[in-house]
Amino acid sequence: MRRPKILGLVLRNFAKRPATIQYPRVKTPIEEDSRGVQYADLTKCTGCTLCALECPADAITMTPIPQGYEVTAKNPRRIYPLIDYSKCVFCYRCVKVCPVNAYIVTSKYDIAGPTRISSEEYSLSTLKKVS
Amino acid sequence: MGVTKVIEVPIITAEIPIGPQHPALHEPLLLKVYADGEEIIRAEVNTGYNHRGVEKLCEKNTFYRDLFIVGRVCGICNTVHANCYVRALEYLLDARPNNRARYLRVLAMELERIHSHMLINAVMAEIVGFDTLFMQIMLDRERVMKAKEILTGNRVLADYMIVGGVRRDIDEVKRARIRDLLLKLKPRVEYYKKVFMEDETIVKRLVDIGVLKPVDVTSHSLVGPVARGSGVKIDSRASDRYDAYDEIPFNVVTRTEGDSWARMMVRWDETLEAINMCLYILEKLPFDGNPVPDEKRLPRVIPHGESYARVEAQRGELTYYVMSDGRSPSPYRVKIRTPSFNNVINSAFMYVGLSIADVPVALTSLDPCISCMERVTVIDLEKNTRYKLTLRELAGGKV
Repeated sequence: MRRPKILGLVLRNFAKRPATIQYPRVKTPIEEDSRGVQYADLTKCTGCTLCALECPADAITMTPIPQGYEVTAKNPRRIYPLIDYSKCVFCYRCVKVCPVNAYIVTSKYDIAGPTRISSEEYSLSTLKKVS
Repeated sequence: MGVTKVIEVPIITAEIPIGPQHPALHEPLLLKVYADGEEIIRAEVNTGYNHRGVEKLCEKNTFYRDLFIVGRVCGICNTVHANCYVRALEYLLDARPNNRARYLRVLAMELERIHSHMLINAVMAEIVGFDTLFMQIMLDRERVMKAKEILTGNRVLADYMIVGGVRRDIDEVKRARIRDLLLKLKPRVEYYKKVFMEDETIVKRLVDIGVLKPVDVTSHSLVGPVARGSGVKIDSRASDRYDAYDEIPFNVVTRTEGDSWARMMVRWDETLEAINMCLYILEKLPFDGNPVPDEKRLPRVIPHGESYARVEAQRGELTYYVMSDGRSPSPYRVKIRTPSFNNVINSAFMYVGLSIADVPVALTSLDPCISCMERVTVIDLEKNTRYKLTLRELAGGKV
């Protein structure tokens, strides 16, 4: 029987380091501009709801900004886009259609966890609290 | 004493269901084979396990939301689905993207072709019991996934196409990185092609399994690498010359053997062709303006009319029919015909005469994509009923 053609490759691999990445102890290398978690910067957001209308996954709901935050005069209805990341498909349609370019984009991707995660914390952190 | 009674003993056939959940199948499809001993005498293809109602969903959403929905018909071939739909819209709008956008579209689609063909070849290696080769091919496939991430911003779901262009441009740094990755990948693909040609395990399991004659291919409307593996030279890229395929040189790969091995070899040769095309695009990428249109200023209303676009997806010819009534913001009808729909459903005759162990090999050589092809079963959740649409109903009662 002839020698399998792949044997040399297999033997060479014994001398190499394993290719498997031990996630989550070791982070997967990812591009800086890859499409990760995005959220609205509420100092720019006008609450126009265009992103919620255009979202193909219906992941965005316009939610009232809770009391205790300084909301700009540009947002008279005091609403902001709340993104449910468990529904979001990260197509960045919201980022591209926003008329005031209010969305902040990151390459954060490791958001899986036991609890539902939304953009509430990220978005509200862009606003100042009323002192 | 003469014979007074003849007792006919019927041939006892064993009915073997392969799927919908089966270790050899990666996607839900019921392949019911009837075997006489080891030999298969009949095969039935039953579908309907993965129906999601994408066409109806498209009618209920706006034209631009549909762009992301059709990209999710199938993960492996998402850019070709999006490209076909976008081109159907562009025909209605009479819009034409600039040269740079057309080249970038082809680059995304060809990168996808490389990783799809590498994936199915790896799966074939796994099916024949050669897991080491599966692991090796998947490891090298990571390079092209990285290239796709650099180009589109995501490893798998690109969301790269938009009416009038693409959604991201590339700069010189990214161009050099993608080029480096492809140059590293090319010798690996050549090596794997050689393994598929020379390795005893693979040759013994694939050669002369599931032979399709050219006449069977044309009479059963088989498309893509399945047809080209039987010597039928059909390729929408070559016949339509859509996007930038009219300017990029490439060969239509065909083989005459017609067996599972020939189909896999066509895929390896196409992978090499696709790498060469990507390198050509990266070298000759034109600079004739911004390929990224402003998504805020895209036309809201699509004019009244019908359009029909086709692309050569990795598995064959993929067609989209889009109809707009000119008033509503959503399409009146979107009809998708995927290559696996033809290749898997129409090829039940191919399994006759094979042994049971060869069925997964023959099925995998068709590159089945079940999530693509589930179209015509309707499941009514409220009434808890399930029925299949006839051609007459699908055509709106006009046939």
